[in-house]
Amino acid sequence: MITADLIRRLASDVRAVPPNVVGQRIAFGILSGAAISLLLVGGLVGIRPDLDVAMRDFPFWVKWAYTVSLGVGAVLTTASLARPESTRPRWLWLLGVPVLLLTAIGIAQMAHASPQDWQALWLGRSWRVCPWIILLLSAPIFVGLLWSFRQFAPARPRAAGAAAGLAAGAWSATLYCLHCPEVSAIFVLTWFSLGMGLAAAAGAVLGRPLLRW
Amino acid sequence: MRNGEEQLRAMMIAGLGGDPQAHESLLTALVPLLRSFFRRRIRDAEDDAEDLVQETLIAVHNRRASYDRNRAFTAWLYAIARYKLVDHFRRRRRLCPIEELGDILVTEGFEDAIAAVLDLQRLLEGLPAKQARLIRDTKLDGLSVTEAAESARVGRSDVKVSVHRGLKALAARIRGGA
Repeated sequence: MITADLIRRLASDVRAVPPNVVGQRIAFGILSGAAISLLLVGGLVGIRPDLDVAMRDFPFWVKWAYTVSLGVGAVLTTASLARPESTRPRWLWLLGVPVLLLTAIGIAQMAHASPQDWQALWLGRSWRVCPWIILLLSAPIFVGLLWSFRQFAPARPRAAGAAAGLAAGAWSATLYCLHCPEVSAIFVLTWFSLGMGLAAAAGAVLGRPLLRW
Repeated sequence: MRNGEEQLRAMMIAGLGGDPQAHESLLTALVPLLRSFFRRRIRDAEDDAEDLVQETLIAVHNRRASYDRNRAFTAWLYAIARYKLVDHFRRRRRLCPIEELGDILVTEGFEDAIAAVLDLQRLLEGLPAKQARLIRDTKLDGLSVTEAAESARVGRSDVKVSVHRGLKALAARIRGGA
């Protein structure tokens, strides 16, 4: 096709683009995916019956602080990688802060417990399923983010995929907290992080083929 | 070139606002820039270069949501063009000799020039308006001291002093890392 014709055709379809459309699309993609993940939490594993009691306690909020702060950081990274000219965000190391804080809390908890309880703190009752459920719940959110990216231009699809995967994993873990009865920080640090890491790795692998444009 | 960035950006923003004419003028204005970008890098295949121009135009159109109105337009544009170029080489499975790859990635004269102009503009913005204007006139746009003095309606010695002070302030700022 002649380039001039192409331009005329493209210019016949010009819709206004709102200023903060990247943020809006990411928010919409995550929220729609999270709605499905929430249904899955309710349908597959069930919301813990003592949620109102648990929400008054420290461990619940430690878990949420951990997953929400990682979720916010991952979403900001994803938004930055949605633009073609973006380099790696300079504040990326901040994602390590929640991990370090949780490690500190975990060490403090273990110091207070006797060594024969350490294994129980670490493995809890659900270490076998926890990472896999987080990975499963992250899938709908990741699909929502794939939809968001249809109008974006990630110059590094693999990195963008990893960031989107981490965002999906962190928000899926946030929803999984509504079910998860575990209370120890070292449990969350290991098995929640593993679930989110699996989601990020899956995103990195899928980013190359799915986020190309 | 300073106007190039500003005009392109203004057209882009108008197009994002839903103005089809501005969008069409933008795409038309991009064609020669993209042609020279791709032809310089794929010397042997004219058709491929034109295909890449069209693919980049389509990406500029379809992916314009990814442009941030507060940032430089040309940086965004050439990031897209570079992505399309790398994608092209990957698809062709063409092995690019490492020296040539260096050329492709580094010798982006226009892009570098744009980046330099942007840096310079940012630096000049930190100076008093008069000094910035006189530096721009004499050092960038190539006016003589007399011409600059006439256009700014000040004395010749005033021009020299302002330029001197301005450059000194800039040098101090660059050394200070600001």
